Amino acid sequence: MRKVWKFSIQMLILIVIYQIGNWTAGFFHWQIPGNVVGIVLLFIMLWLGVIKLEQIELASNWLLKHLGFFFIPISVGLMTLGDIFVEKGLVLLVVLIASAFIGLFFAGKVTQTVIRENEKEKVKYHDHAL
Amino acid sequence: MITLYSILITVSVYLFVRFLAKKYSSPLTSPVFLSTIMIITFLVVSNISYGEYMSAKKIMTYLLGPSTVALAVPIYKNRDLFAKYFGAAFVGLSIGIVTTITSAILLAKWLNLSDMFIRALTVKSVTVPVATEIGRIIDGNISLIAAYVIITGMIGAMFGARILNLFKINHPFARGLAIGTIAHGIGTAEAVKEGEVQGAVAGAAMGIAAVLTSVIIPYIIDFII
Repeated sequence: MRKVWKFSIQMLILIVIYQIGNWTAGFFHWQIPGNVVGIVLLFIMLWLGVIKLEQIELASNWLLKHLGFFFIPISVGLMTLGDIFVEKGLVLLVVLIASAFIGLFFAGKVTQTVIRENEKEKVKYHDHAL
Repeated sequence: MITLYSILITVSVYLFVRFLAKKYSSPLTSPVFLSTIMIITFLVVSNISYGEYMSAKKIMTYLLGPSTVALAVPIYKNRDLFAKYFGAAFVGLSIGIVTTITSAILLAKWLNLSDMFIRALTVKSVTVPVATEIGRIIDGNISLIAAYVIITGMIGAMFGARILNLFKINHPFARGLAIGTIAHGIGTAEAVKEGEVQGAVAGAAMGIAAVLTSVIIPYIIDFII
């Protein structure tokens, strides 16, 4: 019972931060969505110690574990697109798959290469210092 | 009644697919992909339109916002890692966004797709709520954009890890970054399962990619199409 109570309070905290993120983005007319503002807000609060990790961790971990679920009802909306996809589906799929693979490759490879180069340089520098 | 039925179907299909995915790991058992197909089938068979499903959708996606906010937790836990790899992340993210959008547009032009189809491609890698917002600004077809974004997310969730393995991209930070940049939230949901670092980086990359794209695309769209 205590755990349910704790979980609900934590969930409420996350909902409130999300709403504040929405209001902030709307108030300043930012082109950034409220949930991204919410991430930044929560991060700053954790950083400043206004919120402690254990005060939201239970609900956060549960939500992140089921993050995929929340996209399912949105994806079901694809059923309204029948016509377009019957007509152009295959071509569109080819474009989306190819460009996604290209992006994944470049984003991953470049990041990994830069990380490895930096680490190599640090080792070299270290040797010199010795 | 239809709402209750829709929720019941959605939740049970999700739980079933999760169970299935644990037993048989394959692109076909990727939760968002398989659940969506099964639910659409159920709805069609039960003669429920998407309009009727909407009220259930609203209830079930209520926690999507707070869930996205919860990504701050793994980001905070891995903050030293972010500080350490800041430069690499920035370069990788920018190149990832540019290559995926450019290749999509070039390919679409080569395949003779019309302006409506090409325009929507510029935001295909951005998380759903942001993509539709940018869509309004660049005068794009919103439902087409939503479809691109969701399908791109599914592609990333289904094949992302395999593509990265194929090219020996095994650094957890680079893996999370690639998935989050290209496949936003749906990819991030998979990255979270791969590991805490991957999940945290994917979540952060999704946010930063969304911000970068929304700041840049509206200004350059007329030059690149």
